[in-house]
Amino acid sequence: MRPEASVSRRQNRLVFRGQIVIATVPFLLSETEVIEPVRGGALTLDLAGVDHVDTAGVAFLDALRSRIEKNGLECRIENAGERNARTLEVFSSRKFDSQAPVRPPGRENIFEKLGGRAMRIFGNLHQFFLLLADTFYYAIIGLFNRRGMRKGDFINQSILIGMNSLPIVGLISFLIGFILALQSAAQLRQFGAAIFVADLIAIAMTREMGPLITAIVLAGRSGSAITAEIATMMVTEETDALRSMALNPVRYVVVPKVYAITMTMPMLTILSMLIGIFGAMVIGLVYLDIGMEPFYREVVNALILKDILTGFIKSVVFAWLIVMIGAYYGFQVRTGAEEVGRATTASVVASIFWVILADSLLGLAFYLGQPVFV
Amino acid sequence: MSQNKNLPVIATDLTAGFGGTRVLDSVSMDAAEHSITMILGASGCGKTTLLKNLIRLLDPWSGSIRIFGQEITGMDEPEFNGILRGIGVLFQNGALLNSISIAENVAIPLEQHTELPRELISRLARVKLGLVGLENASSRFPSELSGGMRKRAALARAIALDPPLLFCDEPSSGLDPVTASGLDHLLLEMRDKLGMTLVIVSHTVSSIQRIADRIVFMDAGKVLFRGTIREARSAGIEKMEEFFKNG
Ligand SMILES: Nc1ncnc2c1ncn2[C@@H]1O[C@H](COP(=O)(O)OP(=O)(O)O)[C@@H](O)[C@H]1O
Ligand SMILES: [Mg+2]
Repeated sequence: MRPEASVSRRQNRLVFRGQIVIATVPFLLSETEVIEPVRGGALTLDLAGVDHVDTAGVAFLDALRSRIEKNGLECRIENAGERNARTLEVFSSRKFDSQAPVRPPGRENIFEKLGGRAMRIFGNLHQFFLLLADTFYYAIIGLFNRRGMRKGDFINQSILIGMNSLPIVGLISFLIGFILALQSAAQLRQFGAAIFVADLIAIAMTREMGPLITAIVLAGRSGSAITAEIATMMVTEETDALRSMALNPVRYVVVPKVYAITMTMPMLTILSMLIGIFGAMVIGLVYLDIGMEPFYREVVNALILKDILTGFIKSVVFAWLIVMIGAYYGFQVRTGAEEVGRATTASVVASIFWVILADSLLGLAFYLGQPVFV
Repeated sequence: MSQNKNLPVIATDLTAGFGGTRVLDSVSMDAAEHSITMILGASGCGKTTLLKNLIRLLDPWSGSIRIFGQEITGMDEPEFNGILRGIGVLFQNGALLNSISIAENVAIPLEQHTELPRELISRLARVKLGLVGLENASSRFPSELSGGMRKRAALARAIALDPPLLFCDEPSSGLDPVTASGLDHLLLEMRDKLGMTLVIVSHTVSSIQRIADRIVFMDAGKVLFRGTIREARSAGIEKMEEFFKNG
């Protein structure tokens, strides 16, 4: 049975009938949108024919009364009956009349939005650099004084970051080396230049793919873990507790991770390079009939120290990006467990983006640094 | 307002909040040495915010805070760390570090602030856990404990260094009545035997009546009353009477 309601005007009275409930309020709202002029300075809401009012109905009647009163009229409710009168009293929203209405979210205009966003970006950058400065400061202090860092954390973190990521980094590197070799072999073979697959893959893996693969896997694995850990600590007030014990959360939590990732990331990267080249070697062996030995010699000839150094430098830069971005997003969380998940996702997306951006910039810098490419 | 500038805690005209929202409105309070001062008020009235301002986890917008007679607003970090050495804090939700056992949690302040050998630190950590009735749980992790046990472990950590000044945020919430009354006795002993000054946020009327020397009653970010419980009874403040009647 659908609730029904009606409203009609009799001189200085608005007469309601039926049920003033959430289902009928929209209709009643539209019916009372225009209120005809009143003689005598008062308008009465007559509820004699109303059998039920719910909280939405109360809110509707309250809003209607305020609107009428704003027009300089008196407004009273009459004949509400005992039960409805009580409902009106208990759930009254009249006390909120004087307060500003709650602003529905997401109704900013475009300029407010852009302005707010710009402010936030600058504020965030400022905080990011503060965190960075803190981290470097304590990372350097920490080399001489271990106090104030979580005990055994360096080893734990190294194992966590290094060992746990090793299988997946290895597998992906192998597959990428394998696929790249397969694709380029098909082309190069047409020119009888199949052996150059070795050069191509060696350079691609050391300069680009090795550091990049490792960084992306670690951003997903370790970066997210760092954010989640710190964010949870923020929510459970663990960071407050640390500060109350005169321990700096950056020093206690972030610095050991910086050490660990600075150690393990280059090692993982070098492994990734080697495994990728090995993947290509498999293609050389089974598809191009190039033996292990000549392939190996070709790779060694193709690589110069700079290639390895490039990859190495990249891997360290990526490592720091991942920890710092992970930590930054973690410390942004203030309250609420649902924020932890959001921060974690945001941190992974951001660190992958910044890793790729940094990769492009570094690549450019290295090329400009030495224009001749052998 | 304060007769004695050397009281362990004196806050004067503190105004503080989050973003643009004011949460504390010109709050003044103090705590006398070797006494228990309890901060009461409905939830959301700003008790935790006040506590966090007192230990500088939050910075007040204006006002003055003196701890052990020294102004701490604007004090530099190393100096303030020296002050923290004499302060224990029990957070509302315990705030134990989840990645280490509770004995290791209790050991943190000892490792941070003393030169004691490991052996002694671990012994001390056990003693403190024993005081709160957790001697058999010392190697467990916070996630393996009930809420009440966690709170007690956090108290053990807060008193690890026998701090002359102890802040507790709702120590007995979430505890059963028997454990809660045991906790009250422990707090009294810390005042009487160790001469601590305690500032305790609490909701529990029974425990307020049992242990409070003085109370600070807050409502919507303002202090409505400061004094002893007896004075509170005759103060004629409606909101406070309601609090005691319904608590
Ligand atoms: N991190 C925060 N950000 C914004 N508002 C907060 C935050 N923490 C507390 N508040 C607000 O400050 C007020 C007081 O909170 P709190 O001090 O925790 O109250 P109490 O401890 O008395 O229950 C509340 O209205 C709460 O919503
Ligand atoms: Mg609180």
